[in-house]
Amino acid sequence: MKADSNKFPELNKTKFENRGKEFKLRIPVTNAITIGNSVAVGFGDGTVRIFRSGQISEVIKAHSGVVLSISKDGEDILTGGDDGRFLKISLDGEIKEIANFGSRWVDHVTAYNGSLVCTSGNIVYLWMPNKKEPKLLEHESTIGGVAFDSKGRRLAVSRYGGVTLWKKDYSNKWSSSNLIWKGSHNKVIFSTDDRFLVTSMQENQLHFWRLKDKTDSFMSGYGAKVKSFAFVYDSKFLVTSGSNDAICWPFDGNGPEGRKPICLPYVGNKLVTFVEPFPNENAIFTGLSDGSVFLSEIEKSTNTIIIRSFTQSEVTAIAVTEDCSSILIGDIGGNILWTSIWDEEEK
Amino acid sequence: MGETNKQVPVTVLTGFLGAGKTTLLNRILTEQHGKKYAVIVNEFGEQGIDNDLVVDADEEVFEMNNGCICCTVRGDLIRILSGLMKRADKLDAIIVETTGLADPAPVAQTFFVDQDVADRTKLDAIVTVADAVHLSTQLSDHHEAEEQIAFADVVLLNKIDLVDESGLEVVKERIKKINPFAKIIHTTKCGVSLSEILNLDAFNLKRILDTEPDFLTSDHDHEHDDDVTSLSFVSDTPLDMEKFQDWFSKLLQTKGQDILRTKGILDFTGENDRYVFQGVHMLMDASPMGKWPEGKERSSRLVFIGRNLESMNLKEGFENCKSA
Repeated sequence: MKADSNKFPELNKTKFENRGKEFKLRIPVTNAITIGNSVAVGFGDGTVRIFRSGQISEVIKAHSGVVLSISKDGEDILTGGDDGRFLKISLDGEIKEIANFGSRWVDHVTAYNGSLVCTSGNIVYLWMPNKKEPKLLEHESTIGGVAFDSKGRRLAVSRYGGVTLWKKDYSNKWSSSNLIWKGSHNKVIFSTDDRFLVTSMQENQLHFWRLKDKTDSFMSGYGAKVKSFAFVYDSKFLVTSGSNDAICWPFDGNGPEGRKPICLPYVGNKLVTFVEPFPNENAIFTGLSDGSVFLSEIEKSTNTIIIRSFTQSEVTAIAVTEDCSSILIGDIGGNILWTSIWDEEEK
Repeated sequence: MGETNKQVPVTVLTGFLGAGKTTLLNRILTEQHGKKYAVIVNEFGEQGIDNDLVVDADEEVFEMNNGCICCTVRGDLIRILSGLMKRADKLDAIIVETTGLADPAPVAQTFFVDQDVADRTKLDAIVTVADAVHLSTQLSDHHEAEEQIAFADVVLLNKIDLVDESGLEVVKERIKKINPFAKIIHTTKCGVSLSEILNLDAFNLKRILDTEPDFLTSDHDHEHDDDVTSLSFVSDTPLDMEKFQDWFSKLLQTKGQDILRTKGILDFTGENDRYVFQGVHMLMDASPMGKWPEGKERSSRLVFIGRNLESMNLKEGFENCKSA
């Protein structure tokens, strides 16, 4: 990193911007998903675009409103939209409608090994591989988030009042248990080692359960809602948005209870809006409300480099290709950077 | 991207089943006005609205886990408003229909409590559609009907062609007794210019000053058997800021559930600015609003709409705030 790039970020383009491709699409980027060495991006006008080998794909007209959620099933993209449709899209742009709920939104989608899941209102629709009709898992309130564990045997569904944990037995029957905590729970994720479950809440805090003994606690102190959070590859840290620093909670051993997080500061005191772990490293990409993106090593905060300078639009998506060669950054203003991570000589 | 920071106005449309909400919504969606409106309807609403920009919602009232009873919000609204704000095409307004039996407070509170909602949208006005024929009975039978009138910035008194003049007067009196500050518009088949119900900016503190002449006049008589009532107070003696804050915050903390809406313009000793505030239950929005106009009498005026106001010693409390 050049010494002066922190001083006048508005004047300097980063080397990543200089060697990458920038797209000013003026359509809000809502989400992105890595599929192999491609990245599929969902937009606020219902379209999906696929980025690969430095190129942008044809526009795929998937939904008529907003692409609310994106996930993948093998090589296929899954999207849910505010047009009530749950779609499977191939990397070639072929669209298959899996379900249509009309004026009810498809809020969340996910999949595991051919089992497809979407949620609309308070119902999880689960299509087992090669089954035409979905299984319906009903909940008492609207679903805030949904996630499979790493083996696809458990499905966590966050909602008002806690999380419903669905478990599949060996005859493929699903049964549920409840993890209770008052308040409205939004996004939910398992740690990569499946030992913890974490939710973000309507309040500016996160909640977590240690699954072996169902003990739970919360992580608070945020200035804003925590909308983006993820575990690094080995679950040593949970990295989170919602503050002017990237807050990294230690999740090794018994978890973060009674321990302090590592706070990674950035110049300019902007809100961290998106965090994306660097694959196989204790490092994260951090996107800020002004559009800038940094890469930081969690345990060496001095090792921070700027990837993208600011655009004035909050970062809403960061995705890294599977081979770690390229990164895609998108923001609410429709500015996209698609660039290689390594210098030619570093490869 | 300056436009992404613009707050989209949200109109809350309340009213009992059959009052004419659907007629109004259909007009909003089909009239050629060159504007883009999204309409959030509820599951139990009347049928017959079909449009790309109609969103189905379940009315989900959430308590925040901070223990404050008045911090109940509409969870579905937070979700849907956040989703609508991601749209590529910008909306001119959003209309939220509530069921006839819904308490309007959580809807209004959502705009105070949720930061994302407050950043991107703003509560514009609460519009209540009332059936001129049936309102009196509904007010007697359902406290929700009273609340919908109490919270209203505008009451569309619909179906006036089906009542005679004296009947109309009775209904209007009834509305005014509950909420003397709502603007009453007479309609048949909800025939009203959309500019009279959308983009009113009724929750803007500045607007409270604009509408000053109509509101905050004097004590209104009320009958004790009425459930929701209003009381207002005027003082030409400046108030002591500390005393007022002390009294008022305690009042809202302890009686905030019974106090549905408050509005006021205050003259504090030693302050050159007018202080304007408004509240929904315990939640308050207050700010100095520039200097008092030259040559105009300074005075403090305060209004409460709610239940059991008689028991709160409001007059005494207000009097005690006067500077000695």
